[in-house]
Amino acid sequence: MIWSWIPQNWSLIWQLTWENAKLGVLSALYGLIISLPLGIIAARWRWFYPPTLTVVNIIYAVPSLALWIALIPAFGLTDTTVIIGLTAFSLCVILPNVVAGLRAVPAPVRQAATAMGYGPTRRLVMVELPLAAPVIIGGLRVGVVSSISLASLGQLIGVSSLGYLFIDGLQRSFPTEIYVGLICVIVLAVVCDLVLVGVRRLLTPWQPRRQVALAQWPGLQRVALRRRAA
Amino acid sequence: MITFEAVTKRYPDGTVAVDALDLEVPAGKTVVLVGPSGCGKTTTLRMTNRLVEPTEGRITLDGKDIREQNPARLRRGIGYVIQQTGLFPHRTVEDNIATVPVLNGWRRQKARNRARELLTTVGLDPALARRYPYQLSGGQQQRVGVARALAADPPVLLMDEPFSAVDPVVRSSLQEELLALQRELQKTILFVTHDIEEAIKIGDLVALFRPHGKIAQFDTPERLLGDPVDDYVAGFVGFDRGIRRLSFFRSQGLSLSTGPVLSADTTVAKAQAAGEPWILVTDGGKPHGWVQADSLGGHQGDTPLSQVPAEPFGHTFTVGTDSLRAALDAAVLSPAGQAVGVDDNGQAVGVATFDQLRAAIQTAEKAADDDAADNSKKRAERAPSQPSQPGQPGPQGAQSGAQP
Repeated sequence: MIWSWIPQNWSLIWQLTWENAKLGVLSALYGLIISLPLGIIAARWRWFYPPTLTVVNIIYAVPSLALWIALIPAFGLTDTTVIIGLTAFSLCVILPNVVAGLRAVPAPVRQAATAMGYGPTRRLVMVELPLAAPVIIGGLRVGVVSSISLASLGQLIGVSSLGYLFIDGLQRSFPTEIYVGLICVIVLAVVCDLVLVGVRRLLTPWQPRRQVALAQWPGLQRVALRRRAA
Repeated sequence: MITFEAVTKRYPDGTVAVDALDLEVPAGKTVVLVGPSGCGKTTTLRMTNRLVEPTEGRITLDGKDIREQNPARLRRGIGYVIQQTGLFPHRTVEDNIATVPVLNGWRRQKARNRARELLTTVGLDPALARRYPYQLSGGQQQRVGVARALAADPPVLLMDEPFSAVDPVVRSSLQEELLALQRELQKTILFVTHDIEEAIKIGDLVALFRPHGKIAQFDTPERLLGDPVDDYVAGFVGFDRGIRRLSFFRSQGLSLSTGPVLSADTTVAKAQAAGEPWILVTDGGKPHGWVQADSLGGHQGDTPLSQVPAEPFGHTFTVGTDSLRAALDAAVLSPAGQAVGVDDNGQAVGVATFDQLRAAIQTAEKAADDDAADNSKKRAERAPSQPSQPGQPGPQGAQSGAQP
């Protein structure tokens, strides 16, 4: 580990981190934007969900590099190619959470909302989506973290990201660079994750603290939801 | 007024939930729908605000067919309370209550002020306004549910087993408060329960359902207990309906004896001279305890009764206000086998023995039966019985008392 390398290359590290963050966060946001309408449709018309989920899972099974290569003829070696691929992947983790969140809205609450005189759209916006928010944000957290991590691979098709440090470090047999890249990816992912935890806390002051503790871990939260459903 | 005219609900699989139902919920009255699960009572309730659409028939609200109104708008004029409360977990208590006023276009602050007022109305501390539902007990949540239903001051309330999920003590106080609220607000209430006790306590009129959505009897609670139309009704209201019917007989007809009631400064010698097997010792006019005459022998003649060990008097009944059922219960639980009657200030008025209770019950029953005979005569003159219930009093029977 050659510490002096870090300050000497500070602006490069910073620039790569920023580009990597942009690719990861934008992809997760696009994933969310596409997941919401799909999830709403799937929660309302149940038949829609199984085929959608199958398609989504097939996309998820495609290696990211392969997907990008398939996109290159259309979009070239650009950010767009990387973002489209990553959006597809984050969609795969966010969509099931949108559906699970909407389905977990307690039936009596939905029924009471209808009986109070909410129309279907207003009910969705004012009652169902706010109640599904913790679960949706749980999915978004996984989406952001995995997109940030996968975005570093964009370097393989020449899109600038923290992956540059891995490839350059490997080619020059210079481990410091690899370590720095690794730590930057992890720190970036953790920071984004914590920001989302904060957003969720702000949006859901109504959640009992016990559930909040569970929701720290998206995996556990899904288990908790499944238990509640059972 | 809510009117059901030949309303049927048939599901696609052929199940009939409600079968050619005719029912009238008079304005300002509480009608309770009671019956076993699957009898169609909840379906009937939900058809009233179009959560379920009937297959056949017509439902009118103050003469207007509910199908002619926009469902969302119709529902804002009908309060709705359910067992699971259905409170919005993501909204504070005040915003939950303010739901319908806000939907009706009130400014948020005005709606919240209204919500705080209603918290007091339903017996909650306005300091709870900023809490979230998960921070409330079950009973408090249910009160918020009632406040939310009342927020836009709808003339009609639908209540679907609202008190079934809370413990018996809370349930009983919620029932009392609903009765007090209803005396003040005079809403038209349709109330569903599977608990006949609750139906009898809450309802001005009770519609007892048979399985598969037919009404077995629609009557006042008193007549449901006193004059069930058939074995099904008698079975449903329970084997102790005779006792429960006493709830409807006031205790003012009960004669009380004052002989055994002696104040604490009376001497043992005087108490023995009274010739009563049991003495009710009073302290400042309030009941203190029962003393058995046989146990006085061991005491000096000039000992005041206050120094003789007394047995607890159990509970008392308030003369005039309480029913004969309360008086009978007081007698059963009393060591002396006599009920202690007190006035509104808790001062002992007198005691009643089982013989006196029996006489009062017989008088009250005779009066009620004469009344019933009168009613059924009028009923027979006025209208033929319902085609669906040959030979039985029609569902309109209960109202006949109010007819000229």
